[in-house]
Amino acid sequence: MSAVTSSPAPASAPASAPAPSLTSVFVRLKLSLLRNGLRQSGGRTAAYVVSAVFGVLFAAGMFLAFVLLRGHESAGTAAILLTGVVALAWAVMPLFVPSGDETLDPSRLVMLPLLPAPLVRALLVASLVGVGPVLTLLLAFGAALSVAHGAAAACVAVLAVPLVTVTCVALSRAVAAANIRLLTSRKGRDLALLSGLVIAVGMQVVNFAAQRLSEPGGMDAVEPAAAVVGWLPPAAAIGAVDAAGEGAYAVAAARLLLTAAALAGLVHWWRRSLVRLMVEPDGSTIGAAPDPAARGKDGTGFLGRFLPDGRTGAVMERSLRYMWRDPKTKAAWVTSLAIGLIVPLFNALQGAGSIYWACFASGMLGMLMYNQFGQDTSAFWMVAQTLSTPADAYAELRARAYALLAVTLPFTVLVTALTCAVLGDWGRLPEGLGLAFGLLGAMLGTGAVASALFPYSIPQDSGYKNVVPGQAGLAWISIFGGMLVAALLCAPLIGAVIYFRVADHHSLLWLLFPAGTLYGALLVWAGLRLAAPRTANRLPEILAAVSKG
Amino acid sequence: MPDQASGGAFEKAGTAPGDGAAPAVRVEGLWKRFGQQIAVDGIDLVLPAGRFIGLVGPNGAGKTTTLSMITGLLRPDHGRILVAGDDVWADPESVARVKSRIGVLPEGLRLFERLSGRELLAYSGRLRGLPGDEVDKRAAQLLDVLGLTDSQHKLVVDYSTGMRKKIGLAAALLHNPEVLFLDEPFEGVDPVSAQTIRGVLERYTASGATVVFSSHVMELVESLCDWVAVMAAGRIRAQGPLAEVRGDAPSLQAAFLELVGANERAAAGDSLDWLGGTGSAGNGTGSGAGGGAQ
Repeated sequence: MSAVTSSPAPASAPASAPAPSLTSVFVRLKLSLLRNGLRQSGGRTAAYVVSAVFGVLFAAGMFLAFVLLRGHESAGTAAILLTGVVALAWAVMPLFVPSGDETLDPSRLVMLPLLPAPLVRALLVASLVGVGPVLTLLLAFGAALSVAHGAAAACVAVLAVPLVTVTCVALSRAVAAANIRLLTSRKGRDLALLSGLVIAVGMQVVNFAAQRLSEPGGMDAVEPAAAVVGWLPPAAAIGAVDAAGEGAYAVAAARLLLTAAALAGLVHWWRRSLVRLMVEPDGSTIGAAPDPAARGKDGTGFLGRFLPDGRTGAVMERSLRYMWRDPKTKAAWVTSLAIGLIVPLFNALQGAGSIYWACFASGMLGMLMYNQFGQDTSAFWMVAQTLSTPADAYAELRARAYALLAVTLPFTVLVTALTCAVLGDWGRLPEGLGLAFGLLGAMLGTGAVASALFPYSIPQDSGYKNVVPGQAGLAWISIFGGMLVAALLCAPLIGAVIYFRVADHHSLLWLLFPAGTLYGALLVWAGLRLAAPRTANRLPEILAAVSKG
Repeated sequence: MPDQASGGAFEKAGTAPGDGAAPAVRVEGLWKRFGQQIAVDGIDLVLPAGRFIGLVGPNGAGKTTTLSMITGLLRPDHGRILVAGDDVWADPESVARVKSRIGVLPEGLRLFERLSGRELLAYSGRLRGLPGDEVDKRAAQLLDVLGLTDSQHKLVVDYSTGMRKKIGLAAALLHNPEVLFLDEPFEGVDPVSAQTIRGVLERYTASGATVVFSSHVMELVESLCDWVAVMAAGRIRAQGPLAEVRGDAPSLQAAFLELVGANERAAAGDSLDWLGGTGSAGNGTGSGAGGGAQ
C-alpha cells in the first residue's frame, strides 16, 4: 500500500501475476455474459437452448444435404450460392437484430486504455464464440465437402472453411460498427423492430422461390448467379475449393487470396469505425428535427377533420397514428396485411384456391384487436386516468374497434374481391364477404374481451419478443382461446354454408352476405358490452399487467 | 390538523363545498404488500388543501406506491383514500369525480411517445371530455409557458428528460385539476427546466389548488413546500407544516436524516482512509447538513 504514490495503475492486483491477454479476457467476458444472461431467467435459457437445438438440427440437415449432393452436377452452384446467402445473412443481421452482445459495443469500452489493434483482434476472437459461428463453420464445412474432389481441393478446403467463418463474422462486425450510429439512434431501433416483417414476408418469398427451384431444371436458372457469387468473398473461398477440384489451380488461388484480402479489408474497416466511434460520441438525438410543415397547426391533423369529437375521435386518431408511427404496431399491421393478402392470392394463383381462403385476411387482421391495452405499454395509465365507468370503457374499446375497422373492412373487401377475380368466380363474392365479415366480427368481439381479461406486456426493445418472460401463458390463453371461441362463434355461418351447399340451395348463398355482416356486427357489439365493465373494474390490474415490458 | 388549511385556500369557484376545511387528501390505514415486502405499512395521512405539499423519503420508502394508490393507478390491499371528499376506490361515480379533479405525473410510466407533444395534449384533453377548441387553446398556452413551443411537433420519444417532465406536467394540468400529484417531478431535470416547472407550480398553488409531490431533494422541498410528510420504510415518520417537521434542526435535510435514522451510516467514512492518495485530511463531508443532495 505504501508504495502507491503517484501511479494510478493497477494498484490492487498482485504485482507478480502477468496481465492476461486481452483476447482471453474478452472470450471469458463473452462466456460470462452468456452464462449470466441465461441464469437471469428460465425462459431465456429455454429459448436459447431451443434455438440452439433448432440451429444445430438445421445445420446438420444442411450438412447432410451437402454430403448427399456431393458429385451432383449442381453441387458447386448450390454450395457457392448457399455460402453467399449465409454471408448476406451475417451482413444484414446486425441491422435487424440489435446485438445482445455487449462485448461488441464500443461505447462500453471507451473508458478503458485499449489500443485498436489488440482490441480488434480480441473482439474478433470473442465474436467467434457462440452458436452462430459454429453453425456457419458447420455449413461451410458441408459446402466445402460437397465440392472438394481430390487432394488439392481438400487442402484448399482446410483453408477455405475457417476463412469463410471468420470472414462472415468480421463482415457482420464491420457492418455493425459502421452502422452503430444508426443502430443506437431511435430511428435505427425503429428500423430494427420492423425485422419481423422482413422475416415474415421473406419467408413467403423463400417459400415461393423454393417451389420454383424444385421444379425440373430450376437449378440451371441460377447458375449465372453462382458464377458471379463464386468471385465474391467469402463464397469465393468455396468457389476456390470447387475450382481446385476441377484442376483450375490459378482460379482457386485467386479466389482464396481474394477472400483473404477481403477479410483483411473488413478488419481494417472495422478498426477504423471503432476508433472513430470511441472518440465521437453519439449525437443523433440532438439533430432530430421537428417537422412542423407536415403536421396540422393544432393537435389534430388531417385525420382529425373526418373523425367524430370527444373520446371516439381522439382514440381513433391515436390508434391510426400508432399504426404508422409505432414500429411495433406498424410491423404487426404490415405483417398481417401482407400475409392476409399473400396467402389467399397465392393459393388462388396456384390453382388450389378457394374463396374461403379470403377469410384468412379477416382472421389475421382481427387478431390485432387482441391485447389492445398491452399495445399501449405502460402509457395505459393516461387512458386509465380518464376511465371510470363502464360507459367510458365501452367508448374507449368501441373507438379502438372503429380504428381497426377503418382499415380492415376495406382491406377484407379488397382481398375477397381479388380472390374472386383470380378465381374468376364473382358469383361467390357475397358468400365470401359474409363469412369474412362474420369472422372479423367474432375476432373483434373476442379480442375486446381478451384485452380486458388477459392483458400482457409487449416488450418494446425487441423485434421478436411479443411477450415478456412469465406472461407467455397469458398470451397463449388470450390469443388461442380467443381464436377458438371466435371459430365456434362462426359455426352458425359455416353451418349455413354447408347446409346450402349440401341441400343444393346454391341460389340462397348470397344470403350469407347480409347474415354474416349483421352477425359480425352483433358479435362486436356483444364483445364490447362484455368487455367494458370488466375493463372499468380492472384498471389497476390491467396497468400492472401491461407495465412489465 | 385539517384546520390549518383555512385562510383563503379555497378560491377556486364552485369546487369546494361549504365545509371549507376539508383536506385535499385523507388516507386511513393504507396498506400494500408486494410478495414478501410490505411497501406501505398502514399509513394515515391528512394533506390540507391549498398547500404545496412535499412527500419526502429515501429510495424504497414507499412514496411512489402511496401516490399510485392515491391516484387510482394501484389497488391498495387495505385502507381508505379520500381525495377532495370522494373515495378513490369506491363506486364508479365517486371514482369518476376523483379522476376529473386530479392531475397526475407518475414516475417510471411511459407516455404515448409516438405522438408529438402537441398531439399528446390534444389526445389527453379530449379523453377527459374537454371540448376540442378549448383543449387546443389551453395546450398552446401550456406549451408556451413551459417553453415547448419549438418542440411541439417533435415526437415525445425524442424528448429529453426535462422536456418529458414538462409535457407530462402540461397533460396533468390541462383539465385544471384541484389536486396535482407529481412523482419525482424534478428527477433528472436540468436547472432551467426545473425553474420553469417550479414557476408553473407556484402560480398554480397561488390560485388555491393543491400540489403533492414526492422528492428526495431536501433543498427543493424546503424552498417550495409549506407542508411536509416524511416517509421511510413504508411508514409516515412525521407530517405537518414545514417548520414543525424541521423543528430545531438547522435544515430539513438534517431533520430528515435524523427522522429516517441515516446519520450513523453517513459517518462511516473511516474505512476508506486510503482514498485520496497523499493523505491530506478529509474536509468532513461525511455527515451533516450541506452534504449536497444532488
